[in-house]
Amino acid sequence: MSSIKVWDLPTRFFHWLLVLSFAGAFLTAESERNRDLHVLLGYTVLGLIVFRLLWGLIGSRYARFYSFVCSPKVVVLYLCQLIQKQAQHPVGHNPAGAVVIVLLLLLGLGSGLSGWAVYEDIGADWLTEWHELISNAMLVVVCIHITGVVVSSYLQGENLIAAMVTGKKLGHVNQAIASNVASLAWLLLAVVIGLWIWAWPASKDLNWLLHTFSWW
Amino acid sequence: MKPFTIGFLILIAIAQPLRAEQPQDIILSHTLQAKQDNAAFLGFDAIRGEQFFKSQHNGGDWSCASCHTDNPAAAGLHTVTKKEIEPMAPSVNPARFTNTSKVEKWFKRNCKDVLNRECTAQEKGDVITYLMSLNR
Ligand code: HEC
Ligand code: HEM
Repeated sequence: MSSIKVWDLPTRFFHWLLVLSFAGAFLTAESERNRDLHVLLGYTVLGLIVFRLLWGLIGSRYARFYSFVCSPKVVVLYLCQLIQKQAQHPVGHNPAGAVVIVLLLLLGLGSGLSGWAVYEDIGADWLTEWHELISNAMLVVVCIHITGVVVSSYLQGENLIAAMVTGKKLGHVNQAIASNVASLAWLLLAVVIGLWIWAWPASKDLNWLLHTFSWW
Repeated sequence: MKPFTIGFLILIAIAQPLRAEQPQDIILSHTLQAKQDNAAFLGFDAIRGEQFFKSQHNGGDWSCASCHTDNPAAAGLHTVTKKEIEPMAPSVNPARFTNTSKVEKWFKRNCKDVLNRECTAQEKGDVITYLMSLNR
């Protein structure tokens, strides 16, 4: 066993950008004063998830849905083995984690799409309520997700959170992914930050630039 | 379709018209609440509602009119997003004050933004009374 690359850079950038955007969107949901920011972060969540869905088809080994989406049977079996302390810890996502990840992606998609429909006045009033419901459900699943990650880290004696930062986990050399696909990750980051700068209303009038410079 | 599904759909169809409330119903529920809050409650007043609607509160920079404008019988404009808001007066926009949960949701949200607290039943009733007194 040695330390090998498991999560490619686009997957990790996606993850932490999603954490940031979702948390931000949640915190800005309450007030009309933050409406622009909320909408911007909501669109970011939507864009990130669309990216991840594509990356799940063409990404590197452990990022592909094919490598971690599994049937309920496999999940139940895994949970039973976990209780009996006989579970094998896969190098990629474990079956229980995979269920939560799929849920997070679906809820994020639903939350983003319903928010978009509400903002563009496409839907009736009930859509607003669904937008809130889906987003709250997502927060609950995020809590389950974090608990799961912490518990798994403890059970398998490996810091999975650090792994989502460094991309490295314990495994055999032949299980490592071939490439970090770093260029795509930086492109993703550039697009997201570009979107934020371009769309942020305060950036549209250049007064803020003047202000910043006069402050200097 | 299974009988259960059909029955469920019929129930929803029947319940739909029951859901559509009238502004009067919403005023009534605020009256009951206002009486509970304040034994000396004397009823709602359109003029007080108009004043409330058009002034700033607790040192804040917004009033209700910041978005719904000084003429709530015409379309408003969201001060942050610059999106149009449909007129607030039920005489112009009959969809207003016909859905309690929508009304309460927006009162809560908008009052927190404008007053830094929720509105009382008295304030809400005054505002609705004011808006209902507007003609096209
Ligand atoms: C920042 C802009 C803004 C301010 C300020 C504002 N509102 Fe609103 N208000 C909205 C928006 C946006 C909606 C929902 C869009 C719609 O229903 O057309 C809304 C909807 C409402 C509704 C829902 C009515 C219905 O039945 O459809 C009520 C009631 C309301 N506002 C009351 C108020 C009151 C009272 C104030 C002042 C305390 C206020 N608003 C201040 C933006 C604002
Ligand atoms: C705020 C909302 C969050 C969302 C929406 C979210 C979503 C996700 C998603 C979709 C994945 C799958 C990653 C992929 O393969 O692309 C994932 C994995 C992961 N997340 Fe999160 N996450 C959130 C918060 C967190 C936090 C706060 C932590 C750390 C404390 C964390 C730790 C991890 C880890 C370690 C994995 C990999 C799990 C594994 O080893 O199988 N997540 N998360």
